[in-house]
Amino acid sequence: MKRLQLQRWSSTVLSPRARTVNRLHQHLYSASLRHQSTAAPLQSEPQDASIGTNFEDPEVMRQVRSAHKRKSQLQYPSPPVEAATNSAKLAALHARLYLPSRLPVQTLARTLVDASADPNADFNNESLATLGHDLLTYYTSEYLLCKYPRLPLTVIFAAMYAYVGPKTLAAMAKEWGVDLAAAPGGEVDPGYLQFRRVDPGTDVNAATDDVKTPRPYANAAKWRKTVTSKIFYDDEFGDPIKGASAPGEGVTAEQASATFVRALMGSVYLHAGRPAAKRFFEQHILSRSLNISDLFNFSQPARDLARLCARENFEKPVAKITSETGRLSRHPVFVVGIFSGQDQLGEGAGASLLEARERAALSALKGWYLYSPLNVRVPSSMEEDGASPWEPAHVDLGEVIT
Amino acid sequence: MPVKGLRTVTTAQNGVGAFIHQCKRLDFHYCKYGGSSRGMLAFLTQTLPNFARENPQIELRVAPRPGKHPVIKGQYVNGREKAICVRNLEPIDILKKAMILKDASGDKLKRTKKPVTSINESVRGIWSPYHGDLRGV
Amino acid sequence: MATSIVAPKRPFVTLPFLLPSWTDALALGSRRHQSSYRRTKQRLRVKPDASFGPSHQGRDHIIYNPPSSAPSVYHTPNKFLPPNDARRAMRPATPASFDASDLPNVHKINDEAKYHLTPSDIEEIRKLRLSDPMTWSRHKLAKRFECSPLFIAIVCEASPEKKQIQKQVLEAVQSRWGTKRRMAREDRQLRREAWNRDE
Repeated sequence: MKRLQLQRWSSTVLSPRARTVNRLHQHLYSASLRHQSTAAPLQSEPQDASIGTNFEDPEVMRQVRSAHKRKSQLQYPSPPVEAATNSAKLAALHARLYLPSRLPVQTLARTLVDASADPNADFNNESLATLGHDLLTYYTSEYLLCKYPRLPLTVIFAAMYAYVGPKTLAAMAKEWGVDLAAAPGGEVDPGYLQFRRVDPGTDVNAATDDVKTPRPYANAAKWRKTVTSKIFYDDEFGDPIKGASAPGEGVTAEQASATFVRALMGSVYLHAGRPAAKRFFEQHILSRSLNISDLFNFSQPARDLARLCARENFEKPVAKITSETGRLSRHPVFVVGIFSGQDQLGEGAGASLLEARERAALSALKGWYLYSPLNVRVPSSMEEDGASPWEPAHVDLGEVIT
Repeated sequence: MPVKGLRTVTTAQNGVGAFIHQCKRLDFHYCKYGGSSRGMLAFLTQTLPNFARENPQIELRVAPRPGKHPVIKGQYVNGREKAICVRNLEPIDILKKAMILKDASGDKLKRTKKPVTSINESVRGIWSPYHGDLRGV
Repeated sequence: MATSIVAPKRPFVTLPFLLPSWTDALALGSRRHQSSYRRTKQRLRVKPDASFGPSHQGRDHIIYNPPSSAPSVYHTPNKFLPPNDARRAMRPATPASFDASDLPNVHKINDEAKYHLTPSDIEEIRKLRLSDPMTWSRHKLAKRFECSPLFIAIVCEASPEKKQIQKQVLEAVQSRWGTKRRMAREDRQLRREAWNRDE
């Protein structure tokens, strides 16, 4: 059997306190909000007052100083600025992300304080996150529009969500090794991400129908919400814009992590400039892998393809059997190609002629939508020094509407 | 609506673009009096400052663990922890153990069967019996 | 050390797999006993593709040997490239020997639209379908007016009573389905949705 091991603090619990406590010490202890040990401040013996305070004693002074520090920390909802330079966690995070040296750790500490932890806008990351969010969505959208000029709007929304949506940003913060604080406070190590958590049992996905949108006739029945109107009235991902959350309300870990990543992008832009922000975006967000062709969900591919060919003045698309096997067996395979004149537009294989034809039409449509010009340049590349003259990017007629 | 978008999340490819060091914290535990910690004490005083300077991306913690053998523990980005007991080891050997923990990815050790593992699509595509130079049967 | 010749218990002629391949012709009678390894090996001895051959002696050339795999969707078809795209000129043109019209069609191709129905015909279609929906179904109307059932659906709609009856018929049929049939129908629907996501 293991022997019970008495810890260092156990002596104060088990035996009456031997060290005398002076008045100053008592005052400091009782004034502070949290007590290190429940046993300590309760020892108020009147005879202690007769003993003079010995400020020469280094032990006493150390305690006085630490008590002062703790008290000053506890009166703030987030860690004080000077704590940032002493945090090993923060310095390690700075080095791990290869952040530019011009970005001070104090700003990095500020990006880790969510608005739900510290409502003071001078100390939380809300303003930085607003800037960072705009930069992230700007860089992503210009990349998508220049790289794939024919993408339908719904797929652009989905791709935007995949690159800079809250889920991706939260995953990034986790992969960067950012730890979450259990609860925010001034005494917490500034290397933790600090936010007020939502109360347990709150419905996170509760529908917020009462949000006022600028969309006219939003509440009118049978008023169709078009995809195009989402550009004007909704956010970057095609979702309705949510109002600012009420102060004092908690946020989920996903929201807080996403806000942190956005704020970091904003702070890199502010401290290190545009090229560094662009590099940070390319290295951390654009380098992640996304297969755009997986984002499509068609409903009537054959009909869309016929409309496309009519619009572009191509010959009518015709489905033809390229090869087949086992037509009379239990598992036949048909390979169907879609031809417009002599040119093959797409090809698909399926267990029935209908399936193969649908898949072929779908691959033909994807071939149209996923066209990517050679030597893609984005408008923001013109901001670099010595950039060559701008050539207009490819602009397409737009998606096929049936 | 002709086409809808499906929502997904991009997949991280560590090292494509930025590289994030996977070890985020190293804890060094020692005993002030135990004989098995003698090498560790020497390591902490002589080698560790240099080690910390060379690896700013790792948070280092030194904490006494009286009456126990010295241990190095590594915390990783994926949430796992790895520990190596360094009792009776010389500082140079302890440095080697620290390097092992520093360079580890935090995943469980597993045998790699293929020389290259990739999520990229094959350049030539997946072979299909219905394509290419079809020969009549 | 004892030197001994290990002699097979059977003569060589009955063991054709020990002999070189030119004996295949000799061992015609015992083809069934050939080992499968040899058989596979022989089948794999095919001539390399012509583009690998020595036709371009002394000159640098590109080996064009397209993969035997389904084409990628990122490979935009020539017809879909904009006119100013450089890839249009780089790609090899479709070989003249290929003719798409040689391939069989998936569906029976309808002839050109005839546009033979007049507004009075359309009025009659609507009248017939409303007056006696049980007799004048879409297919019957299509046959009579020599158009497609789709056209009938475009110009007129079934009466609400007919829709109600059809709905009840469907419910009656579906109520007799057992678990297996219901699940099979649902699976079919799910598979159909998977086509549209290209899964």
